[in-house]
Amino acid sequence: MSEFFSMSGYGIYLWPAFALGIGVVVLNLVMALNSLSNARKDARRRLEMNSPEETA
Amino acid sequence: MATWTWFHRFGSPPYMYGFARRWAPWFGGVAAFAMLIALYGGLVLAPEDYQQKDAFRMVYVHAPSAWLSLMVYTTMAVAAAVGLIWRMKVAHAVAAACAPVGAWFTVAALGTGMLWGKPMWGAYWVWDPRLTSELILLFLYFGYMGLRAGIEDTAKADKASAVLAIVGVVNVPIIKYSVEWWNSLHQVASVMKLGKPTMNWDMRWPLLLMLLAFTLYFAAVLLIRLRAELLRRERNASWVREVVT
Repeated sequence: MSEFFSMSGYGIYLWPAFALGIGVVVLNLVMALNSLSNARKDARRRLEMNSPEETA
Repeated sequence: MATWTWFHRFGSPPYMYGFARRWAPWFGGVAAFAMLIALYGGLVLAPEDYQQKDAFRMVYVHAPSAWLSLMVYTTMAVAAAVGLIWRMKVAHAVAAACAPVGAWFTVAALGTGMLWGKPMWGAYWVWDPRLTSELILLFLYFGYMGLRAGIEDTAKADKASAVLAIVGVVNVPIIKYSVEWWNSLHQVASVMKLGKPTMNWDMRWPLLLMLLAFTLYFAAVLLIRLRAELLRRERNASWVREVVT
């Protein structure tokens, strides 16, 4: 197992690189979902402000 | 005739919004599954390289990131051109949605490349044609996003940023062929080229699968971002009421 993590001595470069790659993959998905959820909230808020039947 | 019906449908924001909502989970799900298999194939099943030993496994994260950095830019430039030529709002929205994703994968390509460069070349960074042109790509993404952020009016921002995206696309073939045109420390393509690949199948299939996985992942993220982009642009349209309530 430790042989796997050492990666013939290149683990100190290899694992940070994979962490960076996987991190960017996860981060971009999270940012996209956040951006969508914010846009949906904004749109809903605008609709509520502009519809008199709901405020009356 | 049929082609134009298709083209017009994709130009309709509510149609695209529904299309994106339907397809993003499928692209994302298949991408996640393929990524896990490719990771196992690349890190565990593939034999070590006779020269680079286990350091060659960098390729499974570096090459797909670099591929996306170029592919996303090309997608962005094509979408921007379609937006300019046919005055298509959805195409401009696609271009705008591409930029942050492309920038992040350029960062990933540069970062993983530095971590590969240190043990193989003895330096994190060299002013090599491949590295320098990839860094210019990052600045093009920054320029595109900065330009968009700096112009209040969406229609004007679309036009100005589209011109920048289209002009900048000349950098894409420069990056791709930099390793052949100039003396470069960077190795030449071993998979993404015509003719016989120079990589053994045991090492090649996880890479091909990872390239496919990253591409599908990008499709999923792009569709999610496109929905957000369409909601912001079309906030006064009646279809928005139906999709958010």
